[in-house]
Amino acid sequence: MKNFSHLLIKEIKELLNKQLLISLVFILVIFNFIGNITRTEMKKAMAKQKIAVLDLDRSEISRNIIGALNLARFIIEEKTGDKEKVVEEVRNSNLDLLVVIPAGFGQLASSFQPTEVETYSFLKGVSISGRTKTELVKALLNSTNDYLSNEYLKKKIPEADPKLLKAPIKSREFVVVKDKQAEGSSAAIIGALTAQNFILPVILMMIIMYSAQMVITAIAMEKQNKTLETLLTVPVSRGAIVMAKMLAAAVVGLLSAAIYMYGFRNAFNFTDMDDISRALGGLAPVLKQLGLTVNTQGYILFGISLFLTILCALALATILGVLAEDYRTAQSLSVPLVFIVMVPYFISLFADINTMSLPAKILVLAIPFSHPFFAMQNIMFGHMNMLWLGIVYNFLFVVVLLWWTTRIFATDRVLTMKLKWRKKKVVL
Amino acid sequence: MAPVLEVEGLKKRYGSLEALKGISFKVEEGEIFGLIGPNGAGKTTTLRIISTLLTPTDGRVTFLGFDLKKNPEKFRERISYLPEEAGAYRNMKGIDYLNFMAKFYAPDEAEAKKYVERAIAISGLGERLKDKAGTYSKGMTRKLLLARALMTKPAMAILDEPTSGLDVINSLEVREMIKGFTREGVSVLLSSHNMLEVEFLSDRVALIDRGVILDAGTPQTLKEKYQAANLEIVFRRAVQ
Repeated sequence: MKNFSHLLIKEIKELLNKQLLISLVFILVIFNFIGNITRTEMKKAMAKQKIAVLDLDRSEISRNIIGALNLARFIIEEKTGDKEKVVEEVRNSNLDLLVVIPAGFGQLASSFQPTEVETYSFLKGVSISGRTKTELVKALLNSTNDYLSNEYLKKKIPEADPKLLKAPIKSREFVVVKDKQAEGSSAAIIGALTAQNFILPVILMMIIMYSAQMVITAIAMEKQNKTLETLLTVPVSRGAIVMAKMLAAAVVGLLSAAIYMYGFRNAFNFTDMDDISRALGGLAPVLKQLGLTVNTQGYILFGISLFLTILCALALATILGVLAEDYRTAQSLSVPLVFIVMVPYFISLFADINTMSLPAKILVLAIPFSHPFFAMQNIMFGHMNMLWLGIVYNFLFVVVLLWWTTRIFATDRVLTMKLKWRKKKVVL
Repeated sequence: MAPVLEVEGLKKRYGSLEALKGISFKVEEGEIFGLIGPNGAGKTTTLRIISTLLTPTDGRVTFLGFDLKKNPEKFRERISYLPEEAGAYRNMKGIDYLNFMAKFYAPDEAEAKKYVERAIAISGLGERLKDKAGTYSKGMTRKLLLARALMTKPAMAILDEPTSGLDVINSLEVREMIKGFTREGVSVLLSSHNMLEVEFLSDRVALIDRGVILDAGTPQTLKEKYQAANLEIVFRRAVQ
């Protein structure tokens, strides 16, 4: 145990070197920079923005529309004069949206004749604020349309409710999950669950990738620095050497992934987390009624699935590390591992494993890294057989890989195993 | 006097290649035993097997009465191995490297400290031990590693090409260091293709070629037997 902790400390120190610390600080700085820019853009989009309005009608309805625009977070800069000249003037200014209400608009609208409002968007780049402005104007005109059509219907059929006339069929949505049922929108529930879990696959991918890369590098560096042979002859068990390397890689990998995720969240936190909480808060009773919540037992099972997957990644990476002769080869060898991790990552983001064809499903689930990606979904939707199958599969995978790894380290293969790119050479 | 190390009928096969074809030799206490032969003769394989890095295909190796197959940990406790192309952890200071290695062998902190003090004296690196090993020249690294190998007062030091790649001055210093160990009762098993170096250092030598020991004895008896002025000529005549 004394020798193991001694080795572990050395391994952690070796991995937490200046280069890694610099790259982690660099990641934080870059993400912080991206985060500042995106937040500034978001603030701009949400703040009151200046738009130009040319009211050639000057009717009560047109003034009401301008009043509503004012209430809808816009600062109105009213223009007068010829439309062509105003378009030219706005084009040369720093304004990027012009709303033109033509002459006769009020009269046509109040007599329920077709009429139109023109909007001119001056594209000077692609920004979030540019898009939100036009969307807001469009929403406002839709409300005005709704209001005018209601007025028309009230006038023509005073005894009828305009809302009922426009939408005589009401819909009630029910969502059924296994034997549970609740009233609610499936789109809203899927949206809420996606929003709640969108960060999870990224975290999983980062943890697996970082840990695996760390252990490959640790072994490859021993070979490159010609320290492995000496280490293997010190009075400490080979198992302890392997375990110390794997544990150190897991610790440093988790730390790196945590720092990366902190930076990532800081940079891409477009949506206010309070909004998500509020949205989930509203849907919480529905989710609970449908059993789409995770209890303590669920989190424990998810933890087991994740732990076994990390062990799989570490054992597999250790074997790859033995094959690597130096740091450069180690980097190349970690690439296929990264791609294998990306398969379940993308599938969990864009597809449903349960609706995939059987061969594709088997292929995806044969990857040991897949199981924690689908574990949460399996827990929530009660696919417990799938979850347990994944845990058992990963457990067996870990046992076989760890046995194989320890065997490699206990025999000549730790020194003689090589990728046979060229003719095998043996030092006698 | 009982031999410290006994090798009997040692064989090693890598696939279809038979690297060792049943070699036998003994090393006495406080003796420097040299394995000499050209590249590919089987010297490194022999040393790696005794150091527990490789497993033999056949044969028997006993060290201080312990069998290699049954008690490899006993070999690791009392044998220090210096591989031909060994390095130190580049990001570790020389002194930290010695501390790190000492703790594997020492029963407590006080003993570990003694080992390190001994290593400081052996290496002769002085203040440079406070620098990272990555900044050392090849000669300095070799001295550090040699000090590491000997600080624990092992029963046997196995040195593979101890002066390989070193300049004349560093080679001389390293040879002097090796000579000094035996005065403290350490047995040394070394290999080299530099036959003059082995002749200078060794009490006894074995001539090895293509996995077979051609002959063994003191440098003097071998020179007399083959009527040669030095071991290089002895080796050439033995091969013929």
